[in-house]
Amino acid sequence: MTMEQEIEVLDQFPVGMRVLAVDDDQTCLRILQTLLHRCQYHVTTTNQAQTALELLRKNKNKFDLVISDVDMPDMDGFKLLELVGLEMDLPVIMLSAHSDPKYVMKGVKHGACDYLLKPVRIEELKNIWQHVVRKSKLKKNKSSVSNAAANSDKANRKRKEQYEEEEEEERGNENDDPTAQKKPRVLWTHELHNKFLAAVDHLGVEKAVPKKILDLMNVDKLTRENVASHLQKFRVALKKMSDKANQQATRAAIESHLMQMSSHKGLGGFYHHRGIPVGSGHFHGGATMMRHYPSNRNLGRPNSLAGGMFQPVSSSFPRNHNDGGNILQGLPLPPLEELQINNNINKAFPSFTSQQNSLMVAPNNLLLLEGHPQSSSPGFSPHFEMNKRQEHWSNTAFSTNIPQSDVHSKPDNLEWNAFCDSASPLINQNLDTDTTSFCRNTDFRSTSAAQTDFFYPLQMNQQPTNNSGPMTEAQLFRSSNPNEGLLMGQQKLQSGFMASDAGSLDDIVNSLMTKEQSQSEFSEGDWDLECLAHSEHAYEKPYFPFSLSA
Amino acid sequence: MQRQVALIKQSLFDQGYLDEQFMELEELQDDANPNFVEEVSALYFKDSARLINNIDQALERGSFDFNRLDSYMHQFKGSSTSIGASKVKAECTTFREYCRAGNAEGCLRTFQQLKKEHSMLRKKLEQYFQLARQAGPKETARRPK
Repeated sequence: MTMEQEIEVLDQFPVGMRVLAVDDDQTCLRILQTLLHRCQYHVTTTNQAQTALELLRKNKNKFDLVISDVDMPDMDGFKLLELVGLEMDLPVIMLSAHSDPKYVMKGVKHGACDYLLKPVRIEELKNIWQHVVRKSKLKKNKSSVSNAAANSDKANRKRKEQYEEEEEEERGNENDDPTAQKKPRVLWTHELHNKFLAAVDHLGVEKAVPKKILDLMNVDKLTRENVASHLQKFRVALKKMSDKANQQATRAAIESHLMQMSSHKGLGGFYHHRGIPVGSGHFHGGATMMRHYPSNRNLGRPNSLAGGMFQPVSSSFPRNHNDGGNILQGLPLPPLEELQINNNINKAFPSFTSQQNSLMVAPNNLLLLEGHPQSSSPGFSPHFEMNKRQEHWSNTAFSTNIPQSDVHSKPDNLEWNAFCDSASPLINQNLDTDTTSFCRNTDFRSTSAAQTDFFYPLQMNQQPTNNSGPMTEAQLFRSSNPNEGLLMGQQKLQSGFMASDAGSLDDIVNSLMTKEQSQSEFSEGDWDLECLAHSEHAYEKPYFPFSLSA
Repeated sequence: MQRQVALIKQSLFDQGYLDEQFMELEELQDDANPNFVEEVSALYFKDSARLINNIDQALERGSFDFNRLDSYMHQFKGSSTSIGASKVKAECTTFREYCRAGNAEGCLRTFQQLKKEHSMLRKKLEQYFQLARQAGPKETARRPK
């Protein structure tokens, strides 16, 4: 046994994890099978997606994880991914020879926990078990809140217990308490909040009454009163955001416009003006926010909470004039503003930001967090990572006058980061290794289909320690090449933004594609990064419309 | 004889027929999987022969459905990468570029080249495996444990 294998054996869980591998290419499948065996997983293979689905449907509890190729003749890998996520709620890892960010993005959007490139190396497979753990954790949280503890949750929990006995016991205790009480205090987890947001979005903010929201959410043991009070907090936060956003928007519009003039690199421009993010406003969870965004396409639209976050983008940007600043422009400034806003929001609902994980769409900023109603709240640690990241990022980006310190600690940032992280992998190819690896890790290693985990897992993945990620990033930012760092962040944003939502997926994909096309035009000057090229250029175009319409 | 085997293998790497991925595969070969590399190679050649056939037919038809060709080639590239067939992989990449550029002639030319590389690799690998088997299957293609 190699040393790695020995280490694995120490922790019982990964050993014997049941993986279902799907790939139409026999060669790759065989190799994958052997690699997985090497990692001491229990492997089932099939070269037909249809067969895979049947196997999974026959017995939902028979597998812990699915690894699937993207290009398959009988069914699109993404479709399989979606179905597995919906029906069985298992973590799915995508596998492909396509390193095209488009595909990676698509994977993220369809709920993949991770996206691996062929040829797969054994090191990458050694850590995939974390996705299973994460997912089960989310499920546990979910069930503790909504007492509609689905059987699957219990089953998963039971299974997990075999693996992680200690943790299981503790959580089991926690779970019991709410059930025992008559009126358990409702904990608005990410998932619950996402459902809430989806319902509100569906109804429209004006028409969102507690009764209807409650019906739409369809969560057991949730009362109208719970929803009503949550809604009230939500509205308060919304209003605050909108006020701020309004101010920001006007200023931003003007400034960004000027900015663009001064620098053709217009990274900043594209962010705000890009319609796409807006379009992507419909993410699963925070639908409300997003929706508003797309329609307005203005910075100034504060309606959505999330939206509020973004708006600042343009406004804060202009302030930081300089080359780096330009880059920032493109960046979802929101962090600054957002952060501040987040503060407010945080007060309103403590758990809010985490939900937002799903998707912070900053039309301006292209902050997209995917909100999957199904997703459960992300693990906590990731938040930290995220916050840190965001902090670094924000710091770098807006080193000038924005008081970010207070904001950073907020979970909101987390989402943002998460987002960035997820986004970055797409674009980071050319950034220095630290960043790249950092971002890359973040992106797809997310655990569950729920986005929240999307982003952050990446960080964790290949970093020896979680903290190293953010550090790297921070360092990167602060390095002598601020642009690079910024770009990275930007990229992240972009990606994040892309990831927003199925609805606007096409938009995003298109914009992504456009970006890529304009790549050549884009890179110049200090930004020699390809990644820059990816996103920036496309963004430049919409720049004007935005400001004018604001 | 073992030395001969080792030399052949080395030359395959030196000449760029194979890359590190092949070495990774060799690492996976062990007592539980004594002929892993050879099995995988066999699978690869079977699969790729089929693909080559498909592409040949598509090209002969003269219709040049670039999208389809590109997707065939993507598959081809995927499996070639997995086995570490670097020259073949390079030809795949070139072919796809021509596809994207809509350059039919370039595609044809590249495809001929690709077939050549492919059959070269096949021959060499067959030779290599044969020798390896003769030399003593367990002692070759594996790092000493």
